[in-house]
Amino acid sequence: MSTLRTLLVFLKRDFLIEVSYRTSFLMQAFGIFFSVLIWYFVSRVVNAPSTTPGLEGVDYFSYVLLGLALLHYLSSAMMSFGGKVRSEQMTGTLEAMLVTPTSIGTIVLGSSLWDFLLTSIKVIAYLAIGRLFFHVVIRLDSLLPALLIIALTVLAFSGIGILSAAFVLYLKRGDPITFLVASASALVGGVFYPPEDMPVWLGGWSRFLPITYALRALRRALLRGSRFADLLPDIRILMLFVAVLLPLGIFAFRFAVRKARQEGSLVQY
Amino acid sequence: MGHAGEAVSVAILTERLTKVYVKRRSLREIAARPFRRAERVTALAELSLETRAGEIFGLLGPNGAGKTTFLKILAGLILPTAGRALVGGIDVARDDRAVKRSIGFVTSDERSFYWRLTGRENLEFFGRLYGLSAAQARSAGRSLLRVMEMESLADRQFMAYSTGMKQRLAIARALLHDPPVLCLDEPTRSLDPIAAKHLRRFVIERLNRERGKTILLATHNLQEAEEMCGRLVVLDRGRVLRQGSVAEITAGLPGKDRYVLIVSGLVSPPADPRWTLEVERRDGAVVRMSAAVDRDGRAFSDLLRALLEGRGTIVSCARREPSLQEVFDMMAPDEERSGP
Repeated sequence: MSTLRTLLVFLKRDFLIEVSYRTSFLMQAFGIFFSVLIWYFVSRVVNAPSTTPGLEGVDYFSYVLLGLALLHYLSSAMMSFGGKVRSEQMTGTLEAMLVTPTSIGTIVLGSSLWDFLLTSIKVIAYLAIGRLFFHVVIRLDSLLPALLIIALTVLAFSGIGILSAAFVLYLKRGDPITFLVASASALVGGVFYPPEDMPVWLGGWSRFLPITYALRALRRALLRGSRFADLLPDIRILMLFVAVLLPLGIFAFRFAVRKARQEGSLVQY
Repeated sequence: MGHAGEAVSVAILTERLTKVYVKRRSLREIAARPFRRAERVTALAELSLETRAGEIFGLLGPNGAGKTTFLKILAGLILPTAGRALVGGIDVARDDRAVKRSIGFVTSDERSFYWRLTGRENLEFFGRLYGLSAAQARSAGRSLLRVMEMESLADRQFMAYSTGMKQRLAIARALLHDPPVLCLDEPTRSLDPIAAKHLRRFVIERLNRERGKTILLATHNLQEAEEMCGRLVVLDRGRVLRQGSVAEITAGLPGKDRYVLIVSGLVSPPADPRWTLEVERRDGAVVRMSAAVDRDGRAFSDLLRALLEGRGTIVSCARREPSLQEVFDMMAPDEERSGP
């Protein structure tokens, strides 16, 4: 309970910092709207029929809108932990927090929470703009399974993100894994186009990425209103990713903290 | 493991505390010499000291002496290689979170706040990280801002503060959880002389005398150490050169005491093998001289007597404190300090 309260303190801190930049919210809102607008026109040019393999029976604009929304979660989960550690190291605030009795795990998680909250707002904004202005059909009756899929996706990506934070703490620079996973997810994960439409030697790599299953399940839930039983195979695979990636990230992070304390490099960058 | 007896009067106890850094090798170095042992740097070598509750204890030494490493070990940021450090009877390597509750750590790094938050918001945030409730953090922040005479500036963004204010806010932050021990790492480093003096008086009078805080002060300023610390340890390259009060530390040193004398009407400077006089400036009948006098207990009195007998009038006489470098040179000559 006290950890939860401490996490909320980080949210309040980041909210206060965010609102101190007066036009920040407005600019981000415009950014989302323009992004949706751009992809709307791209989809008109692409004009792929909903029967295209991998499009899950929906039009291309709806397909890519969900892809973009989930890509934001991927970015937040993978970049936020390491990015926050690095920026707090560079501003000198990490040391000030580490001399308090609050655990470093809570500090890193707390520092990333605002990004997740902001991302969630962005995702809702994407879907809302899509629905209100571009008539994308969002099936709200499948909201609960969709939330479960998003939660599992965030946890799986967070495992990689925490691994990235471990790299930053120990090696003082961004890790190659995050770059590799982020690039591969955008390339073959089914964000902008179905991996089924790619050459097998390339598209085949998509099965090793959690985003492939997350996107497929999310599109089926929110765009087609699939039943929970139909989503279960993808949910199971996502759970497997969580079971492997999250403990791996936490183990690596603990190892990095201990090594950095031994080397005296915890707050160096 | 804590010792019940130590917790009563000993605030900090270290036993053979050692920290050796292993320098990380670059990929190029590893490729060039794969079997070469990584270089090791000893930052602290078997440091044993005891700080009594309620005293101001100094860590004196030049850059690289190991002062900051020592403070960071106490603050739980660095793990020692060997030996142990106890704060209030608790071993920092075994339970750093418990130690952090009884320590306030002040760095001289003025970046360590959120620049877009106000002083008050910063204090409330860090107060919560120290485990205070929202109401407690608010109350402690308000009270400390008053103590630091920053009430009127509390709602300004941190970035608008002067360096002195930033340093005062850093001290306020370290006091939020009312710790019995306060570690100050060169707190006056970036302050102007007036702000530095103000801060020193504040630490002595308000924190040490009134609130009874044990203060551990790392500094490379001998005068600051003399003004503030009852006892201190002189460190150089991780080794203890001396331990005791400033008087004890400088008393047994070889060499001479130095004075600046302004004398008028002196016919000729008195000569004696126990002192050397050097005329720095002459302004008519008034002479400003620097004197290096043997530390034998009588030489200085004899010098003054000789000046008076030579028809001089002593206008002023001020002792010139040796610089830290001079003290180090007296304690351990360069060749000795450079080691094997």
